Amino acid sequence: MNEMHLVMHGLAIKKHASPEDVAAILGLDCDDVRETLTKLVAAKRAVEVKGRYMLAPAARMLLDADYSRYYDAERANPAFQAGYAGFERLNGSLKQLITDWQTISVRAEQVPNDHSDKDYDLKIIDRLGDLHERVEPIINQLASALPRMAIYGAKLAAALEKAEAGAIAWVSDAKIDSYHTVWFELHEDLLRLMRRERTE
Amino acid sequence: MTLGFGQWTLAIDAGDPPSRDLIGGKAWSVARMQALGLTVPPAFVVTTAACNAYLATGREPPELEAEIDAGIGWLESKTGRSFGAGPHPLLVSVRSGAPVSMPGMMDTVLNLGINETTEAALATECGDPAFARNTHKRFLDLYAHIVLRATTPELDEAAGPPAWRATIAASCGTSVPTNTREQLRHAVRAVFESWNSRRARRYRQLHAIPDDLGTAVAVQAMVFGNLDAHSGTGVLFSRNPSTGAAEPHGEYLARAQGEDVVSGKFTPQPLSALGAILPEAHARLLDAARTLEKAGRDVQDIEFTVERGQLYFLQSRSAKLAPHAAVRIAVALAEEGLIDRRSAVLRVSPDQVRLLLSPRIAERARAGARVLASGEPASPGVGIGYVVTDSDEAERRAEAGEAVILARPTTSPDDLHGMIAAKAVVTEQGGSTSHAAVVGRALGLPCVVGCGKGALDQLTGQRVTVDGLAGKVYAGALEVEAPDESRNYALTRLSHWATAESPLRVISAASAEATTATDISNDPDAADLERIGLALVRVKGARGVRGGMIASHEGVVAAIQSGLEFIVADPVLPPLLVAVRHADAKVENA
Repeated sequence: MNEMHLVMHGLAIKKHASPEDVAAILGLDCDDVRETLTKLVAAKRAVEVKGRYMLAPAARMLLDADYSRYYDAERANPAFQAGYAGFERLNGSLKQLITDWQTISVRAEQVPNDHSDKDYDLKIIDRLGDLHERVEPIINQLASALPRMAIYGAKLAAALEKAEAGAIAWVSDAKIDSYHTVWFELHEDLLRLMRRERTE
Repeated sequence: MTLGFGQWTLAIDAGDPPSRDLIGGKAWSVARMQALGLTVPPAFVVTTAACNAYLATGREPPELEAEIDAGIGWLESKTGRSFGAGPHPLLVSVRSGAPVSMPGMMDTVLNLGINETTEAALATECGDPAFARNTHKRFLDLYAHIVLRATTPELDEAAGPPAWRATIAASCGTSVPTNTREQLRHAVRAVFESWNSRRARRYRQLHAIPDDLGTAVAVQAMVFGNLDAHSGTGVLFSRNPSTGAAEPHGEYLARAQGEDVVSGKFTPQPLSALGAILPEAHARLLDAARTLEKAGRDVQDIEFTVERGQLYFLQSRSAKLAPHAAVRIAVALAEEGLIDRRSAVLRVSPDQVRLLLSPRIAERARAGARVLASGEPASPGVGIGYVVTDSDEAERRAEAGEAVILARPTTSPDDLHGMIAAKAVVTEQGGSTSHAAVVGRALGLPCVVGCGKGALDQLTGQRVTVDGLAGKVYAGALEVEAPDESRNYALTRLSHWATAESPLRVISAASAEATTATDISNDPDAADLERIGLALVRVKGARGVRGGMIASHEGVVAAIQSGLEFIVADPVLPPLLVAVRHADAKVENA
């Protein structure tokens, strides 16, 4: 595995990321990542602003062009393919769940969920727990081919446990590693590896 | 009197409902409707005692199978149908029911009792083979998902039951039984086992709920709204949930099953349609709405089905209300004496009022405005700024102090920083579950999605007004106005009552007394939700305070704790509601 490519891949998933963020999502040593990021900045493939890094526009093309060089094995691996297919099947459920979390249907009208109805929230966190139990084996399947996938499983479980304990921001808050944030990053990661386009 | 079939099962029959601890919340609410004189589909319960016996020994009590058979026999005699056989097959729903509602418990399995034989009988009975086939498919789907906990691929509509069973067996290694008693036995066991699911155990641990309460299993006859012209299904709200008007509001779909109403595939008719076909059922339904509303002391959302002219009540619960309906109804219920004023105040959340009073485009400005793009309303609110199509640029220009609107074909996590910087988000593609919509709502950002390919060309570089509630993007900066709380009858009543209940007065900046308040705006801690209490310590002795984040939840709580007499805030009602809720929670915890 090429570490330059891997760190660039990490930056494509975690935008505006600190070296710690990138290291955490890829399961790499933080000092190594810092060193690679410095090299990427010197090569004009990444830009640093206030300690946070992002890909330079030209670097995106380089990154995209090189996936087939490093991920042919995963793409051809039946377990990885099956895991990916399973994840896509659950993705629709997660999206619907997050929408239900954020909006309450009052007859045909959708109004924002103000989280004053604890039972409503509880039911959705319960559904999230159910979904999590379904995605766990899928992530294990992916991790059997690409071990760093297990990091997503641990981050999803951590977000779920916080939400279950009453810190409901961990369901979908976009500014923290909430369940939805991590799920979306996992999806982005898989789409990149499999060279698929996001369908909205 | 409660009819028992032995030690472990009970019929839900006329008379006083058995204890909630024994039969669980779901069966208890069915029993409660029955006790109010309403007809419910017949049901029996496997009690929490049976669950505990199973969990203690790892197997069902020896008598249970015979008792469940007796329960099924009772359902057969009540309905004139037979379980697992024609010509009138009995299908049942199986629900878990713990004494307290709890995560991790098994979801409902519907249409249990269908197999090749009963599908054919059902097809003949209702004259609709496609419905019978679809019922069979929905059962297999639910059973695989809920009882077998499989993540199966979408079942191919055309393939038919044997192929569906094979797909399920291939994906999880277990097959769905064709024997209907076996289906039921497995479903009951799955409910028992869900008591010890990871989520349920964790929830009990977090909330100090004993592990030995156990869950009951409710088995209820399914009724069919699609058998003939005198059958149908619908929902009834005891008051209008959109406007809050004090008149029942409902929809009815003749010759249909419950799922058809929710699916959106059919357009239901107003409830008067039922009145035209079955006036007696219609009248009883309206009566029941009043009864249930009185018993529940809240607006009810009632699901019902009519089978061959017989009206059945399936469920009744407190209705979800649009914000203005919630305010209007809380005031009306108190004025009618159904609830007291304090309860009315506590029923309305500060956020509901904030949403009602949030700024919107002035009607006179909207009238002459040019619509540049329109799409699906994904997150409410109004945002005004210059349209930028790149997230990095949006962030840069926002940091320089400019108001920007982020417009993208679609958004991805790549755009999060741009969305945070923007006043509103517009996309060309995607619906209400797209990334832009989901993140927009999470950020409280006005958002319009799915404006169509090419919409960006109309917008780039222009100054626009985005209306996230209407799903429109207008040219130019339109006039925005905040609704006036003092001109809304229900809001003024509620303010009046809330003031009487609140430990803290909240006054408008327009009132004379506001000038006597100490302004804390210049204290940096006053703008920090976690440190606002410190800012109040520094003005010890002040009677009233204004400025900073004093109107926020944290600000109000800090004001109460520091013994202030009043704060200055506009609108007045949201902080008042926070104050009453805070005082109420303290009493409850004491």
